[in-house]
Amino acid sequence: MILRVYLLRRLVLVIPLLLGLSLLTFTVSRILPGDPVGLAAGPQATQEIREALARQFGLDQPLPVQYLNYIGGLFQGDWGQSLYSRRLVLDDLRVFFPATLELTIAAVLIATVVGVPAGFLSAVYRDKLPDQVVRIIALFFVSFPAFWLAMIFQSILGVTLDWFPISKRFDVLLAPPPAVTGMITVDALLKLDFNAFGIALSHLATPALVLSFGSLASVTRITRAAVLEALDRDSVRMERALGIPYRVILTKYVLRGTLIAILTIVALEFGWLMAGAVLVETIFDFPGLGLYAVESSLRLDFEPIMGITILYGIVFSLINIATDVAYGIIDPRIRYG
Amino acid sequence: MLLDIQNLHLEFRTFDGTSKVLAGVDLQMQRGDVVGLVGETGCGKSMTALAIPGLIPMPPGVITEGRVLFDGEDVLAKSPSELQRFRARRLGMIFQDPTTNLNPVYNIREQLVDAVLYQRMDQQSVPGRWRGWLPSAKQIRHDAFQRAVELMALVGIPDGDRRIEEYPHQFSGGMRQRVLIAMALAGEPDLLIADEPTTALDVTIQAQILRLIDGLVKKLGLSVLIITHNLGVVAQTCQTVAVMYAGRVIETAPVRELFRNPRHPYTQGLLKAVPTANVRRGELEGIPGTIPNLTQPPEGCRFHPRCPHVMDVCKAVVPPGYRVGAEHTAYCHLYAEGQ
Repeated sequence: MILRVYLLRRLVLVIPLLLGLSLLTFTVSRILPGDPVGLAAGPQATQEIREALARQFGLDQPLPVQYLNYIGGLFQGDWGQSLYSRRLVLDDLRVFFPATLELTIAAVLIATVVGVPAGFLSAVYRDKLPDQVVRIIALFFVSFPAFWLAMIFQSILGVTLDWFPISKRFDVLLAPPPAVTGMITVDALLKLDFNAFGIALSHLATPALVLSFGSLASVTRITRAAVLEALDRDSVRMERALGIPYRVILTKYVLRGTLIAILTIVALEFGWLMAGAVLVETIFDFPGLGLYAVESSLRLDFEPIMGITILYGIVFSLINIATDVAYGIIDPRIRYG
Repeated sequence: MLLDIQNLHLEFRTFDGTSKVLAGVDLQMQRGDVVGLVGETGCGKSMTALAIPGLIPMPPGVITEGRVLFDGEDVLAKSPSELQRFRARRLGMIFQDPTTNLNPVYNIREQLVDAVLYQRMDQQSVPGRWRGWLPSAKQIRHDAFQRAVELMALVGIPDGDRRIEEYPHQFSGGMRQRVLIAMALAGEPDLLIADEPTTALDVTIQAQILRLIDGLVKKLGLSVLIITHNLGVVAQTCQTVAVMYAGRVIETAPVRELFRNPRHPYTQGLLKAVPTANVRRGELEGIPGTIPNLTQPPEGCRFHPRCPHVMDVCKAVVPPGYRVGAEHTAYCHLYAEGQ
């Protein structure tokens, strides 16, 4: 099939992209000033201990050799090791990545499920009361900084109303369901453990809500613009002239015409939220990739930084490919090739 | 009387001022008539056409005066849902650009079957997506599909049962216009309004579409209102012509009569500006001046600043229609009693 060939080609093209990305990150992280070995070895370490540590991690080698060693390891599934904790990077990613993925998916879901109908409503009632209300709320969410919203939500939802816990992914006194995907809500559902699902969901609620707000506003505004544009098309006038009910025109013909724009913004937001989860993870003490990335960067812990970057690269590429494939499904004029 | 537009006034109120787009349009059609509405760009012919199905964008449009009667019913008094049913049951409409008037992301079957379903059935009884699995709904959809294939044949698309699965971008311009005609005819309308149906098509395709409309008139006894700026289209298809200038109908006549014996000075000028195969006629004459700005139209007859026969009365009084022959009316003071 053409689609299979297309997918294969796109996937193969990801490899040079990742090589470029890794080279860039490698170079930037190594030319930064700082003494990672010193940080890892501690202030009391002697010169011999430092040299031994550097040798153990290959840091005494010339930079090109270090890079080639790293890439060579990567192709064999060795993502390296943290200088600081000595844990394998792959093991850390296995724990932290699903957490961030879960948080991001939840936030994107909220932004889409609320933002698309709100934008639609706003466009259909253009310049009328519902439009004004939606636009003011969207402006509100765009304008307030996430950290401030996060604290307000913690204080209102978590403390005053006491609806949701305000930190961590799961009740600290209980054991989470066995990790299959690493996303606790999904794992709980796989075990049909609805109690655990509820606990995980309540931990996820506030951070996901806070994370979604910026995107919620963008999704709403882009949807509004796309619907307005679609409503202005000649084909809508033709459909009205045919006597097709406006409700059907909106939910069938106009909606399909706006899906490409909505899909684009949702995919972009997914990427941005994933990278931007750091702040929310920090405030909610949510053990995800963002928190891990910040800690690794502060210690100039090279291999986790590389691993995180490459993982983000892979995720972004896959989202892009999935989006492009979806375009072709939505719009029959788009050909794969 | 199938269609009776009386003294229709339409304004567009925008930030730049009020544009008096229509200023007393009169237009009558009998059942079975094929009427051409001709005029320059901006003379209000499309707005007149859009007033019949109630598709004028409001705001900014405001109808300040006049009536649109369809089979005796006042169209302007209808509620939105009544209008939607009226459009579904009684009117068919096609527009200028067949490329943009079809929805690009649905295939022809989806669009044509919807046209059949919503034009021939009560809105409530159309099986929507939620009830689509019911056996009765399947039967309804199957019947609609059969009807859609018949319509494809009616408008001369070969291989209709196969091509109906294709998307608009897989059709040529002429074929797309045929599809749109099929959609417009799905509910067996009393009146087909064709707004510049051939303007976006090249000349050979234009002739095919006109022949198709002609054939449908004969086969189905259809009444057609053709809006065009092309006098050739009028001569080829219409029985009666109404000429518009700056927001009014200024002359109506049977088509031969109009071409042979135009009475309004604007129509006379317009016909002099049409090139013919007769080369001996020499240079073409134009009408001096330009069409008026509709935010500040001339008082009285809107044509008076350009009229070679202008009189004092023209500058003050809007001319009513004067009978100048059998079924021939001119809205011009030249034909007033005692002139």
